[in-house]
Amino acid sequence: MPPKKSIGAEYLKGLWDENPVFRQLLGMCPTLAVTNAVINGIAMGLATAFVLILSSLVVSSIKKLIPNQVRIATYIVIIASFVTIADRFLAAFFPPISKALGPYVPLIVVNCIILGRQEAFSSRNSIGRSLIDALGMSTGFILALLVLSSIREILGSGTFLGYPLLGAWFKPWTIMILPAGAFITLGVLLGIAILIESKTKARSA
Amino acid sequence: MNLSARMIIVLTVVGLISGSFLSVVGLLTKERIAMNQQQEIQNAISEVLPATKTSHKVFEDESLTIYESRDEKDDPVGFAVYASGTGFQDIITLMYGINPSFSKIKALTILEQKETPGLGAKITDKTAFLRYWEGRNCEQPLSLRRPAVESPEDLAASEVNAITGATISSEKVLDIVNLSLERLKEIKQKGQLSSEEKNAT
Amino acid sequence: MMDILTLFVAAILVNNFVLYYFLGICPFLGVSKKIDAAFSMGMAVTFVMTLTAVASWMINHWILIPFGLDYLQIVSFILVIASLVQLVEMFIRKMSPPLYQALGIYLPLITTNCAIMGLALLAALKNYDFIKTVVFGVGSGLGFTLAIVLMAGIREQLDLADVPEPLKGAGIALIVAGIMALAFSGFSGMIK
Repeated sequence: MPPKKSIGAEYLKGLWDENPVFRQLLGMCPTLAVTNAVINGIAMGLATAFVLILSSLVVSSIKKLIPNQVRIATYIVIIASFVTIADRFLAAFFPPISKALGPYVPLIVVNCIILGRQEAFSSRNSIGRSLIDALGMSTGFILALLVLSSIREILGSGTFLGYPLLGAWFKPWTIMILPAGAFITLGVLLGIAILIESKTKARSA
Repeated sequence: MNLSARMIIVLTVVGLISGSFLSVVGLLTKERIAMNQQQEIQNAISEVLPATKTSHKVFEDESLTIYESRDEKDDPVGFAVYASGTGFQDIITLMYGINPSFSKIKALTILEQKETPGLGAKITDKTAFLRYWEGRNCEQPLSLRRPAVESPEDLAASEVNAITGATISSEKVLDIVNLSLERLKEIKQKGQLSSEEKNAT
Repeated sequence: MMDILTLFVAAILVNNFVLYYFLGICPFLGVSKKIDAAFSMGMAVTFVMTLTAVASWMINHWILIPFGLDYLQIVSFILVIASLVQLVEMFIRKMSPPLYQALGIYLPLITTNCAIMGLALLAALKNYDFIKTVVFGVGSGLGFTLAIVLMAGIREQLDLADVPEPLKGAGIALIVAGIMALAFSGFSGMIK
């Protein structure tokens, strides 16, 4: 058993070392799909956080009761229920955001981050630790979405959260809002993340 | 207790608990969601036929829905036509207001589109596209004017401006409107326009 | 007939599942290193997509909508997909061991593949009838296969190129995907 991390470290690992998007390469579908505007990225991040945190709490509470063979099915039902709640809530109270995010909110149910965390962590750790882990992963995911959507919105529309940022002299790079821009930006960001990681490793070696 | 029994019990219990939870959430949000959809349609109808006080659906099939609009004196203002069709990238959904004799289009609004941002997406822009649709004569099919002209007065009565750099998106909008106009006249002829539920705005 | 055809072509080229809808990225990046592996994955996905299209349509139109249970869509779809994949795996293992050798390992991966769930959700969202749903399923699967095989072809060549260290693997794959997405966007406007 690797030594238990401190609470702080348990949370912080989700932000960089084990960042779900940049290091674990999970949850890429929504990361690419809804980051054309910052507001969409934030909404998706919060919805995913909602599902991840609550699912982790539930799974961690009942982990001793679930027979091994049916654990994946059980996790899926739990996750799908929270996703449905998030989806219905958005459709009822924030219809424009629900429309903008479209089918990607229900798709949170197959976001590998959530199922992955249940399998790798919540099913083997205390409720408290699972909560911290979920919070850390959620923060890391939201950060990744923020970075990507800021780049895409600022360069692609010249705005941030809908407010014009760069003025009239800037001709927006429309490609940033298109699928191609999403792929290329994420690829470059991944490269930068790996570069930073190797430089810090080299320095501490 | 043996393993199989335990598996089945756990699955059933989990299923039942989520099922009931979801039913509660589902029922709580059902009305609100339906209301939001209604509200969207009402807003669109008021946008394309500003004098509307009440409206009700008079025809519906999978490609088009027609609403009859009346003002506060309960006189007919016209019809709001909700239609959709293939755009450049994906489906475009729109609504336009037409007078009772089907001779003039009052206004057009785009409800849903996934056209290229900055180019085709300009079909939602009032200044760049939509204002040229106001008061168009639609007894004959509408046609596209390109290159675009600056002021609406320079357009012929049944012409609409194409957006520079987004001719195809403009054309697609035109096609959707023309097709639905044809169907509209057909439906009127066949006497299929009937009054169904009334809903007050 | 015409709009079924356009739906089919649109699903493969214009609204490609990977390059337009961003679905199925995990297998797209993970299994696209060799052309034959990519093709097998594509075929497995197409097969499961077609079955899912049928199953999700039936559940949606025979059970969920008539009883006003549309809020159970997400839960029922994902459970159906998980069960379908399980059944398909057992069936293939029994019926055709060589086929199982070729496809089998990819099947469990497909359950959390957002492409399958995405298919069920999109078909339900667009309210397609039965025929259109099936055509949409087959077309989207073929589109996925096309994208992943093209990517594998490029990556096999990329192995011989001098890619900067930080970009090796996922980074360069995403950039290539971006260029492919650009190329595929040229298909827009094809549909009359």
